[in-house]
Amino acid sequence: MVTSEEKNDPPATTGARTVVVTHRTGLHARPCLAIVNTARKFRSKAQIQSGAKKANAGEILEILCLGAEGGTEVTLTATGPDANEALDALVRLFETNFGFDD
Amino acid sequence: MIQHMELAGGKVVPVEGREGDIQVYLDPTDVERRHLVDTLKIDEHTLSSALDPDELARLEFEPDHLAMILKRPRNYSSEDQFVFKVASAGIFLYSDRLVIVLTEDVPLFQGKLFTKLTTLKDVALRIVYMSIAHFVEHLKVINAVSDSLEQQINTSMQNKYLLNLFSLEKSLVYYLNGINSNAKLIERLKLNAAKIGFSPENIEFIDDAIIENQQCYEQAEIYSNILASMMDARVSIVSNNLNWLMKTLTIITICIMTPTLVVSIFSMNVPFPGTDHPAAFWFILALALSSIGLVRLVWRWKRW
Repeated sequence: MVTSEEKNDPPATTGARTVVVTHRTGLHARPCLAIVNTARKFRSKAQIQSGAKKANAGEILEILCLGAEGGTEVTLTATGPDANEALDALVRLFETNFGFDD
Repeated sequence: MIQHMELAGGKVVPVEGREGDIQVYLDPTDVERRHLVDTLKIDEHTLSSALDPDELARLEFEPDHLAMILKRPRNYSSEDQFVFKVASAGIFLYSDRLVIVLTEDVPLFQGKLFTKLTTLKDVALRIVYMSIAHFVEHLKVINAVSDSLEQQINTSMQNKYLLNLFSLEKSLVYYLNGINSNAKLIERLKLNAAKIGFSPENIEFIDDAIIENQQCYEQAEIYSNILASMMDARVSIVSNNLNWLMKTLTIITICIMTPTLVVSIFSMNVPFPGTDHPAAFWFILALALSSIGLVRLVWRWKRW
């Protein structure tokens, strides 16, 4: 059964962006939590790929195991009705050093 | 590695090609350690304490400087397997310089906290405060990891998630110890405020740090208690999940075993009545299948 909410949803899209981990110490505990909190704001499923390792951006256990160090290039992908918004927010997070400069 | 910095416009900025008022030593080499001991007159034992993760936080008065050993959360790496550890840091406050000794690269002097700085004492106190804030943020991470692990345990029978929860429990013990140790340091800073020469603003800042550290300690204690009390329940859930799996496997085994028994009986090499009947095969097959139904009825009757 299709709910009224689903009827109004924009079609699911898939996007990908590449960003560099600018934080000197890489994706350690605090940046991981910032990524999870951002990814969970959206309905799309976002993923982060670092080398051969892939992690669900909304799952802290997976991101903590990525082990992406500072300067590493990671690929962000998202699939869902708000994939572009999710990717924009995640890219902004990486570009603003996870908000630690504020 | 040495990073030279100085205070400019209320902020800490890096300086190139000359010595700065603020010097950050990251995992100092033997040569750098000798320089710290011989030139800057830092006590060798105190310097070793600043680099020893097991050392407790403390405050020491030396003839020409103040030595603070501070506890801070260690950077988490993917090899740590959900064990969040603590590290030590040394802050050596002179009248004209501030020397910071760390074991690993930590982004210092970031954020709003490191603005409107006027003296080196301001910088030293903000590093202490930053360490508390760092603990608070790591506690949030531990809480998020704990939530995720609990969700995994609800649907899994693997020991690894339980072991990860034990690791988190161990991490919280390290953190509680570190935060408690920092509390002693901050209290001593306040008690010796006049001797150190802290301004009224500095003392006010120390008061804030005491409150923040106390709240951080209480938060860590609550998380630790919750984790400890929930551990037994989680172990039972894993055990119960395993019981359910065993029950399912047993049902499957019995469902296969009973028709096999029926067919085996009719497979004995002795004459049976009705062996030559044209529907003998279908009769045995029906009997085998109905044995499954019989087992099911007994299962339900016994409420297994």
